[in-house]
Amino acid sequence: MAVVLGKLGAKAVALTLGALFVFVTACGSSSSTPTQSATDVTVWTAWGGNELKAFQDVLKPFTAQTGIKVHISTVRDSSQLAINVDAGTTLPDIGLPPNVDKVQDWVSKGVMKPIETALGDQFQDYMTNTVSSLTTDQGGKSTNTQIYLVNGKHYGLFVKTQVKGLLWYDPKVYTGQAPATWNDLIAIDPAKYNAKSLFCTGIESGAASGWPAVDDFDNILMRQAGHDTYNNLIAGKVKFSDPQIKQAYQSLGQMFSASYGGKNTILTTNFGKAGDPMFKSPAGCLFLEQATFITSFFEQDNPGVKASTDYNFFPHPSMGNPAGDGNVNGFADSLVMYNDTPAARKLMQYVASKDAQQIWVNDGGTLAANKQVTYNDPISKAAFAVVQGAKNLEVTAGDFVPSDMQSAFWKSMLDYVNNPGGLDGILSHLDSVQKSAYSS
Amino acid sequence: MSQADATIARSEERATPISALSNWGYRLQRLPLHIVIIAFMAFWLIPTVGLLVNSFRQPADMANAGWWTALFPPHGFTLASYQQVLAIDGVPASIISSILITVPATVIQLTIATMAAYAFAWMKFPGRDIFFIVIVGLMVVPIQMTLIPLLKLFAVTGLAGTVVAVWLAHSGYGLPFEVFLLRNYLGGLPREIFESAEVDGAGHSVRFLRLAVPMTIPAIASLTIFVFLGIWNDLLVALTFLSGSPYKPFTVKITQLTTSLGYGWEFLTAAAVLQMALPLIVFIALQRYFVRGITSGSVKG
Amino acid sequence: MDISTLLTAVVAVVGVPLVLLGYIIGGEWVIERLPEKIQNTFRPYFWAAPGIGFASVFMLVPLAYSVVWSFQDDSLSKFVGWKNYIYFFTFPDTITSLKNSLLWLIFYTLGAVGLGLILAILVDRVKYEAIAKTAIFLPVPISAVAASIIWKFMFEYQAAGSTQTGTLNAGLGLVHHDPVAWLVDATTNNASLIFVGVWTAVGFCLVIISASLKAISSEVLEAARIDGANEFQIVRLIVTPLLWPTITVVGTTMIINALKTFDIVYVLTNGAYDTDVIATQMFRNLSNAHFGRAAAIGVILFITIIPLLIVNIRRFQQQEEQR
Repeated sequence: MAVVLGKLGAKAVALTLGALFVFVTACGSSSSTPTQSATDVTVWTAWGGNELKAFQDVLKPFTAQTGIKVHISTVRDSSQLAINVDAGTTLPDIGLPPNVDKVQDWVSKGVMKPIETALGDQFQDYMTNTVSSLTTDQGGKSTNTQIYLVNGKHYGLFVKTQVKGLLWYDPKVYTGQAPATWNDLIAIDPAKYNAKSLFCTGIESGAASGWPAVDDFDNILMRQAGHDTYNNLIAGKVKFSDPQIKQAYQSLGQMFSASYGGKNTILTTNFGKAGDPMFKSPAGCLFLEQATFITSFFEQDNPGVKASTDYNFFPHPSMGNPAGDGNVNGFADSLVMYNDTPAARKLMQYVASKDAQQIWVNDGGTLAANKQVTYNDPISKAAFAVVQGAKNLEVTAGDFVPSDMQSAFWKSMLDYVNNPGGLDGILSHLDSVQKSAYSS
Repeated sequence: MSQADATIARSEERATPISALSNWGYRLQRLPLHIVIIAFMAFWLIPTVGLLVNSFRQPADMANAGWWTALFPPHGFTLASYQQVLAIDGVPASIISSILITVPATVIQLTIATMAAYAFAWMKFPGRDIFFIVIVGLMVVPIQMTLIPLLKLFAVTGLAGTVVAVWLAHSGYGLPFEVFLLRNYLGGLPREIFESAEVDGAGHSVRFLRLAVPMTIPAIASLTIFVFLGIWNDLLVALTFLSGSPYKPFTVKITQLTTSLGYGWEFLTAAAVLQMALPLIVFIALQRYFVRGITSGSVKG
Repeated sequence: MDISTLLTAVVAVVGVPLVLLGYIIGGEWVIERLPEKIQNTFRPYFWAAPGIGFASVFMLVPLAYSVVWSFQDDSLSKFVGWKNYIYFFTFPDTITSLKNSLLWLIFYTLGAVGLGLILAILVDRVKYEAIAKTAIFLPVPISAVAASIIWKFMFEYQAAGSTQTGTLNAGLGLVHHDPVAWLVDATTNNASLIFVGVWTAVGFCLVIISASLKAISSEVLEAARIDGANEFQIVRLIVTPLLWPTITVVGTTMIINALKTFDIVYVLTNGAYDTDVIATQMFRNLSNAHFGRAAAIGVILFITIIPLLIVNIRRFQQQEEQR
């Protein structure tokens, strides 16, 4: 017995020493304690890569001034949050908003905390200084889940905005005028400008592949069919096989068939790299349709390109329906407070401020939600002007439908690129998904 | 078969050719064999080599040309990827977390499994076979089935989001196979040793601790490596239980390194190499135990 | 890393074995003082209790819950009968995942076991056998996450006419073939994913089969050669039958792996372009909070594995008889 215990004793000592070693090395790395209410905040964001870096830049002055430590986790999407909410496990202090079909449920469960509480007396400033379509329902309703407004209270704090559906081009290559209508755009001959094809399209995006094409589709639909049809689609009140929807798909198909490299390139090129052929010589394509954030990708992959000289944009052309012309596709990043702690409140107040959002804007590739932020480069200024001049700032349909519908919607784009002749089958499949996704 | 043929057959087995001419004839015959094997080895190794080379290149280079171009000048090698990955907030912590998850989980399940295996192997009791069949049956249960119930269980007991939860979950998943394997091994130990010890007055605890365990060390050692690597490499369990936790292991962290939209694959090369490093080092250093662990459960009986 | 977690880890690593030790020693001390008859009935359960308890709590009970939940709706409060199962068998997406899992089952298993067998026989005849085995076994300890990243670079696609960055497409370029979009093209994507799986598994099969191969008596083989059998006949008529038990063991393990495949599909395509398998379907439903459906898919997965369960049990019973 003593021998056995002796042997075990030696093992125990060895293990303890090993554990101590781990402990010592671990002390060298940053500490990540669970939440302590006044000094630490946990944040879950979907931002990674350069988006995350920008957020960290934004947080530097905050931590320097208040001493509050911010622990960021990159969590892919709100589904992870959903699992935790349903299982009753811990939530981050601040995090991404849920998919829009869960908003009312979570508010009624008390999972999401009102922005009014988070911002306290700064709430009025937030309301005044933020782009109004993000804080107020255009029809005056007290509940609009797209902007996380439920029964008059706000649950999502908007910090960054983007404009989508912009047509990017290299001014040195495309020297012509901005086309007034879609048909004018399609009629442009790339060979005239020494480019191989008209568009560059890349819709690969990991688990979310297909979303850039949905964005392109949304921009067509909102202008072609108008505000009401567009929002009815989001609400599940219009079928995908409806002629208006089908027509939008077909218009989109015109872009696909005029894209660089054909369908395989469209499907395998990551959206961030899709624009690279624009800057090669000879240029692979003339135009890339994408949101404002793409500029930071341009600069990362093609060192040396500069705004205005090497890349510029013009807004999405008209689809020929005057009623739809004022509809602009914007999207905004927002944060939700899940745990009401003093430190979380401070962080929410900080990111709502124009100083914080100015850092985001300065890091590039984004616009702010706060109207007081200044834009140093003509491109951002022009983009913000598009936002301001919009009749209706439409959300991105792909992001505001129930999650099952979203996956099917994204996937339908992959299938459509792969097999343009199978559009009817694709649309009827979407109808059946729609039926089941909106019923529960 | 003639005498000459028989001689040739024997010499083929011993690989000692008879004369210089038949030496070359023999080698030529074997050439296809060598080609096939070496080609296969090369094809099997190339993917990993490609990743390794890419991990030392700039993202812009990777976007423009394949990894093999870096083998010729200009090489453009850089440590940037590694520096970037290690500088990302939470990456070093996740590597430590991987260790913090793997070691205790391994220890917990192996100690419990050894105990249970001894009971199944050397004690007769009603229901023994049924219990064992149930446990063997559990080996094939897909762990996805247990994820949500366990999530709720951990939430109720306050263990949610902690590493303890993951230790317990991994232990539960690993136990069936370990009990199965160890019981087979323990059952194969010579009965006489235990019987004579019993005659000498040794109780079960002594027989277990001073006879069974020491004799089972080879199997336990091999199994430990197996279990350790399985947990180190796990993605699904950690993804479910620890996605947002500060204690997420390296595998989960890697999947979160790309932006929300899948951009940034290049940064993953260094991360993947780092994640692979430990298993490869373990494998190369402890090949013998590794292999023995795999074969012991399958070749026997 | 905060101290409390580290301390917990240390306590667990040291404490659990110590606690079990105390449990055994203390328990035996008590048991030995009981009447003989009671000792022998009580003791086995005492020893097996921790193991059985653990397996029950963490495997059996959740399994039971899952079965119950598979008949309920997403909020897990309302009974909906067979609705989730019907959904699974009628919805095109899930039918695709069933079909793909079947493809994995057949080709992953055949590929891994078949190649393992062939290679075992081949490398047995060369002097550098150990090196060959090491090289082929190398992918086995690599995590599926790392393997997927490795193969991402192998499968990379650039438009025809541009410089290829992916190894496979560059190779195709050498023989003047257009690049293939391996992961996107419906004719190649499932095969590509399955191949990645085979790549990680062949070494495992090789090592096990090789060990069994070595156990075959060389006298038998020599006798066959003297009798005039050529190598192919020897492999077909002697080696394979003798290896059959090992092949079945390895085969069932591979089948189970094939059905449970998650990581590779999740990381490389996440089921896009019709590459979905049962496990990724389940995870997706889980993430979208369709708990009832996810549970039903889990049960279906379990049912597909039950035949192997029975094979495992039969084998165990045979081994028992030999003991």
